[in-house]
Amino acid sequence: MLVLAIGVVSIGAGWVSGTTRLVALSVMLVSVVVLVWTAFMGGLETRRALAPYGLLKPGILWLSLFFLAPLWSMFQMSLSSKQSRFDFFPDFTWEWSNYSTALTDFAPQFTRSFVYAAVATVLTLLIGYPLAYVIAFRGGKYRTILLGLVAVPFFTSYLIRTLAWQNLLADSGPVVSLLNTLRLDAPLEWLNIMDNGRLMNTPAAVIGGLTYNFLPFMILPLYVSLEKIDVRLVDAAMDLYTTASGAFRRVVLPLSLPGVFAGSLLVFIPAAGDFVNAQFLGSPSTTMVGNSIQNQFLRELNYPLASAMSFVLMAVITCSVLVYAKFMGTDDLV
Amino acid sequence: MTSAQSSRQKLGRKFINASAVLGLLYLFAPIVVIVLFSFNKPKGKYNIVWQGFTLDNWANPFSKPEFTDALIVSLQVAAVSTVCATLLGTLIAIALSRYRFKGSGAVNLFLVLPMTSPEIVLGSSLATLFLARGVERGFMTVVIAHIMFQVSFVAVTLRARIRGFDWALEQAAMDLGASPRRAFWKVTFPLILPGIIAASLLSFALSIDDFIITFFNAGSLVTFPLQVFGASRVAIPPQLNVLASMLLFGSIAIMVAGLIFESRRQRAASGSSRH
Amino acid sequence: MATQKKNSTGRGTPLSRRDFLVRSGLVGAGALSMPALLAACGGGGSGDSEAMSLMFENWPLYIDEETVALFKSATGIDLKYTEAYNDNNEYFAKVQPSLAAGKTIDPDIVAPTFWMAARWIQLGWAQKINMANIPNSKNLRDDLANPSWDAKNEYQMPWQTGIAGIAYNAKTTGRELKSVADLFDPAFKGKIGMLTEMRDTLGLVLMSEGKSLDSIKTFDDAASAFDKIEKAKKDGQIRAFTGNDYTDDLSSGNFAACVAWSGDVLQLSKDNPDVKFYVPEEGGTSWYDTMLWVAGSENGSAVEKWMDYVYDPVNAARITASVQYISPVKGVQDELSNMGGDAAALAEDALLFPDAATISRLQSWGALSEEEEAKFDERFAAITGA
Repeated sequence: MLVLAIGVVSIGAGWVSGTTRLVALSVMLVSVVVLVWTAFMGGLETRRALAPYGLLKPGILWLSLFFLAPLWSMFQMSLSSKQSRFDFFPDFTWEWSNYSTALTDFAPQFTRSFVYAAVATVLTLLIGYPLAYVIAFRGGKYRTILLGLVAVPFFTSYLIRTLAWQNLLADSGPVVSLLNTLRLDAPLEWLNIMDNGRLMNTPAAVIGGLTYNFLPFMILPLYVSLEKIDVRLVDAAMDLYTTASGAFRRVVLPLSLPGVFAGSLLVFIPAAGDFVNAQFLGSPSTTMVGNSIQNQFLRELNYPLASAMSFVLMAVITCSVLVYAKFMGTDDLV
Repeated sequence: MTSAQSSRQKLGRKFINASAVLGLLYLFAPIVVIVLFSFNKPKGKYNIVWQGFTLDNWANPFSKPEFTDALIVSLQVAAVSTVCATLLGTLIAIALSRYRFKGSGAVNLFLVLPMTSPEIVLGSSLATLFLARGVERGFMTVVIAHIMFQVSFVAVTLRARIRGFDWALEQAAMDLGASPRRAFWKVTFPLILPGIIAASLLSFALSIDDFIITFFNAGSLVTFPLQVFGASRVAIPPQLNVLASMLLFGSIAIMVAGLIFESRRQRAASGSSRH
Repeated sequence: MATQKKNSTGRGTPLSRRDFLVRSGLVGAGALSMPALLAACGGGGSGDSEAMSLMFENWPLYIDEETVALFKSATGIDLKYTEAYNDNNEYFAKVQPSLAAGKTIDPDIVAPTFWMAARWIQLGWAQKINMANIPNSKNLRDDLANPSWDAKNEYQMPWQTGIAGIAYNAKTTGRELKSVADLFDPAFKGKIGMLTEMRDTLGLVLMSEGKSLDSIKTFDDAASAFDKIEKAKKDGQIRAFTGNDYTDDLSSGNFAACVAWSGDVLQLSKDNPDVKFYVPEEGGTSWYDTMLWVAGSENGSAVEKWMDYVYDPVNAARITASVQYISPVKGVQDELSNMGGDAAALAEDALLFPDAATISRLQSWGALSEEEEAKFDERFAAITGA
C-alpha cells in the first residue's frame, strides 16, 4: 500500500521519468493484479486480511496523486527560479532566496493572516458557544430545526454572503448607523475598531467577515460535543457545586473541550489561508498572505515565490496545530 | 438554594439565551440583504442602492445567461465529483470502521491532512502539478480537485456517523446463510445509507460553493463562484440575488424534506419495534 | 467537432445533456482518459464555411444582448459571446500555459487593454487580420489608427475607448473637484479610491506632477509618483484600490472621490445624480480595449465578419447606447441622433463625445520595455498590498 502510494506520488511529481517510470508503472500494475488475485483466490483468512487495503486503495491513491504529489511539485517549484519575466515554467535551481523573499517582503501579510485568523477564532468561539449551548440544552425537540437554522445562511454562495457584508458595513449602511445611534461609535473609535467613523475597509471588517463565514465550523463541532453531555450529569453538578457557573466550569466546559478544539482548528486553518474577505472587505493595509499567494500565482506569474509562501503558510499551520494538540492534550484530530 | 442565587441564575440564563438570539440575528443579517436586493429595481446596471420594489427579477431569474450557465457548470462539477468522492470516501470509511489493520493510524492522519491544509495551499499546489505536467486546466482538473477535498470529507464524516455501527449484524446475516455480498447489500448498506447520503449532500454543497481551489484550477472554465467573482469587479445584477435566494430556499426545502423523512422513519422504526 | 466544442463550454448554449453524459462517463473511466476528453471537447476550430462559429471573450457588461442576436441572424455565424475577460494580468496568466506552449485557447477574439494587446502581439499570441476583408475598418477613428506597437494596424481593432479621470460624490465632498490634487486633500482622508489599473492611477498622478506620459520610459521617471501614492496609502488617505467595483463605493458614499472610468460614471449617475466625473485640469488618460485575433484560431473569416459588423456605425451606435463608453467608430454620434429617445440624448453627452478642450487634456501611455514594466508592476503590487 505504502509503496504503491509512493510510486504514484513519484510519477505524479515527475520524480521518475523515462524507463524508470515504465518500470515503476509495471511494478504497480503487477502489485495491483497480485492484490486482486489473492483477494479472489486466497482463503477466507487472507481475504479478510486484505479487504481493508482493497477498500482503501482507490481513495488513498487519489489522495496520493492529487494531494501529496502536488505538494512535492510545489516544493520543487518553491526552489525554482524564473529565467525571464514571462518564463512560463521555471527551472529547478535550489533557489532558497524565494523563502527569504517570502519571509521578509511578505512578513506583514503573514502576521496579519495569523493574527486575524486567531482573533476570528476567538470571536467564533464567543458567538458560537452560547448558540450551540442553547440549542443542545434548551432546544428540546426543536434541536434539529435550530441547528438547521444555523446552517441555512451557508447555503447561499460564500462570495455573495461576503458581498452582502459590503452593503451592511458601508459608511452610510445599517451597521454604522446603528452604532452611531447607540452612541457606540466613540468607544469603538477609541478601541481602534472603527476608523474615522467607518467600519468598511478596516481590519475589523476583515476579521468580522472571517468570523461570519467560518462560524458554522465552530458551532457544529461544539454542538456535537455538547449534545453528548448527559443533562443528568449537569443537574448532579448543579447540586454538587450549587451554582450554575460552577457546574458549567467544572463539568460542561471540560466535556465540550473536544468540540472547542475541533472547532477552533476548523475555523483557524481556512481563515489563515483566506483571501476573499480581505479582498472584499479590506484595504491595501489589511491584505493577508492568501492575497499575496493569489496575486503572485495568478497575476504576476511568480510561481516560485507563491509556492514558497504556500509552503511557509502550511508549515506554520501544521506546527501550530501540533503544538495546540499537545496543549489541549488531545491527539485525536477528528 | 437562596433566592439571590436563583435570580442570578435566571439572569445568566436570560443572558445566554439573548446572546444566542443575537448570534442568530448576526447569522441572518447578510441573508436579509441578499433576499431584499433581489427585489431591487436598479435604474442603471448597478444593484447597490435601493431604488424601488419589483418582481421582475424573480419573473426572469435566468435572464442573465452567463450566471445561469455558470450555475449549470457548477452543478455538473458537483454531481460528478460528489458521486466519485462518495464512492471513494465510503470505501475508506468502511475499511476504517470495520477492520483493525496495520497502518490504520497512518491512514487516519493522511485523511485529515487535506482538511488541515488551507484551501489556498491545496489549490496552488494542485495547479503547480498541472502546470508541471502540462495538463490543460478545465472541467477535468476542477473535478479532480473537488474529489480530492471531498474524499477526505466524506470519509471522515461518514466514519464518525458509522462509528457505533454493529458489524456483528452482517456476520449474523452470513451465519444465516447469506453470501457476504448479499449480507452487505441487504443488511449493512441500508443501515449506513442515511450516513452516506448526509455526507454526500454536504460534500455536494462544498463543491458547489468552492471558490479558492477552483480559482486556481479552472483554466477557462467558469463555475458559479468564479462568475460571481468576475462580475463583482463590475456589477452584480439583481438576478444574481434571485439565484442566490433560490439556492437558499431550495436547500431549506431539501432540509425540511429531510427532517420530515427522518422523523417519519424514526416513528416507523419505533412503531415496528413495539410489535 | 468544432461546433460541439463551441457548444460545450460556457455561455450562450448551455451544455447539452449528451455532453454532460459523455463527460461524466469519461470521468468515471478515470483520470487516464484525460487526453481523450481534452480531445473530445478541446480540439481546434474549423474554417468550415457552412456552419461558421466564433467565440468572443470580452469584459463583463460590455455589450448589449441585442447585437449578439442580430449578428447571428444576419450572418448565420454561431457566435458565442462570453464575459470571462475580467482582468488583464489574470487572463494573461490563465492562458499563458496554452499559448506559450503553441496551443490555442477557446476564444477566437479576446479583449485585452491596449498595453496588454501590445504584449500579446509581441509574444506572437495574435494573428494578422486581413483588413481588406473588413470594409468598415475605414470607420476607425483617426487618433486610434496605427499605434506604435501595431504600426500598420494589422493585429487589432479597438473595441471601446474611454477616459480615466476623477469621479466624486458631490454630496460627500460638498464641492466640485477639478484636480488630482483634490484626491490628496486631507479632508477626504480614508474616502479616496484608486484603480488597480496601474496605468490610469499612476498616469493621473504623473500628469498632476506636470509630467507627460510619452516621456515616461523608465521606472525612475515615475518613482516620485509611486512615492506619492505609497505615502497616501500609508497615511490612510487612500482607502482601497479597486477595479470597476469602485462604483459600489462611490454610490454608497464610502468613497468621496476616486480615479474612475468615464463610462461607469455615466451609468452610475443614472442611479445617483450626485456622482460626477471630471477630466482633471492637469490631464486624464485615454485608453482602449482591443479585439485581438488569437493565435491558432482558425475562424478567421468569422472574425473578420464580426469586426466588420461592429464597425458599422449603426451597430456601433447601438452598442454605445448600451455600454456608454466612447466608441472607436466614426459616425456613431449621427447614428445615435437618428435613433431618437434616450440614445439621441447620449449624442449630446460630453462624456461620450468630449469637446476639444477635454480631448486636449488627454494623454496616453507609450510602450514600456519588458524589464521596466516588471519594475513598475512589482512596485505597484507592493503598494496595493498584495
